[in-house]
Amino acid sequence: MKKKLILSGALVALFLLSGCGSKEPLYNYGDYSQEYYNYKKNMSPETQLELQKAIEQAIENADDGSSDRVAPGMYANLGYIYLKTGNTKLAKQNFIKEKTLYPEATHFMDRLIQKIDALEETTDEK
Amino acid sequence: MKNKILLLLTSLVSLLVLSGCGPAMVTKGTEFPKMYEEAPRSILILPPMNNSTDAQAKDYYMTTVEMPYALMGYYTFPTEMVSDIMKQEGVYDTEILYNMPLSKFKEYFGADTVLFTTINKWDVSYAVIASSLTVSISSKLVSTKTNETLWHYTGTIKVNLSGNNSGGGLAGLVANAIVTAINTAMADYVKYAKVANARLIYTLPAGPYSPMYMKDQDIELVQQGRRH
Repeated sequence: MKKKLILSGALVALFLLSGCGSKEPLYNYGDYSQEYYNYKKNMSPETQLELQKAIEQAIENADDGSSDRVAPGMYANLGYIYLKTGNTKLAKQNFIKEKTLYPEATHFMDRLIQKIDALEETTDEK
Repeated sequence: MKNKILLLLTSLVSLLVLSGCGPAMVTKGTEFPKMYEEAPRSILILPPMNNSTDAQAKDYYMTTVEMPYALMGYYTFPTEMVSDIMKQEGVYDTEILYNMPLSKFKEYFGADTVLFTTINKWDVSYAVIASSLTVSISSKLVSTKTNETLWHYTGTIKVNLSGNNSGGGLAGLVANAIVTAINTAMADYVKYAKVANARLIYTLPAGPYSPMYMKDQDIELVQQGRRH
């Protein structure tokens, strides 16, 4: 009897600690964190590609998270990798996706898009 | 009746478990009222000020902070992009970053709040039988609108790094020392940083993308010291 009581107490505590019993995290990050770490440890085109794959996977499987949303910053990070590899079109597309999904990013994304546009104009003139 | 007593006892036990050795408890709502008043939606995470002896702590720590704050329901600005852009703007030094007017972060990124973190201690104590990691972190979330601190956390977290103590005798000790050495390798840094993050993030009121948004005022926390 006493044992049962302690057990149920512990269970309640566990439940409270785990934050109102939501089983799944809000977002699916897949291997993003691991690949981000690997990239920081050894910055190379290879680790950047692995990071890109991890982000794409996380986006693809967004419905594994309880919100079904792509996590904040994922589209922005993907767009940034495209920008670094010279694909400005896909960079812009992803920056637009980021601000559409998260209006909080609008100011920042617009700034980046403006920069890309300005860059494209100067290269067009040459 | 019996059920009622059981329920009461159960909640008492759980309260006891939660409160540990009985420190003062306080609700999120009373501890961080400005979070609920201002209701910020986004967090710009700055690299930590590293006062610990571990020089690499900063870079690796940065790969662990984005996720927990996003999972608490906030829009988090991508740390890698933010740090690259700051560098392009000529800001390499964390100290300079920490002394910049907060309005700059609003102006440039449109951020509602900025997260400042100081790592005061990141000590791994090596021992044959039991190694441990002690992390002292203080974090604060400051409004770019009012310059006020909306949330803060100061804490020391101790993580036991030892492998399972299986097998006795001298052979067991040697095996443990090897496991310990492996466990404290740099690759695990990130793992422990995540444990540390999880402990402190629990005190943060939920953000707009969380189902708990504006519903967690009554969650009880251990009251922290007033040191900022």
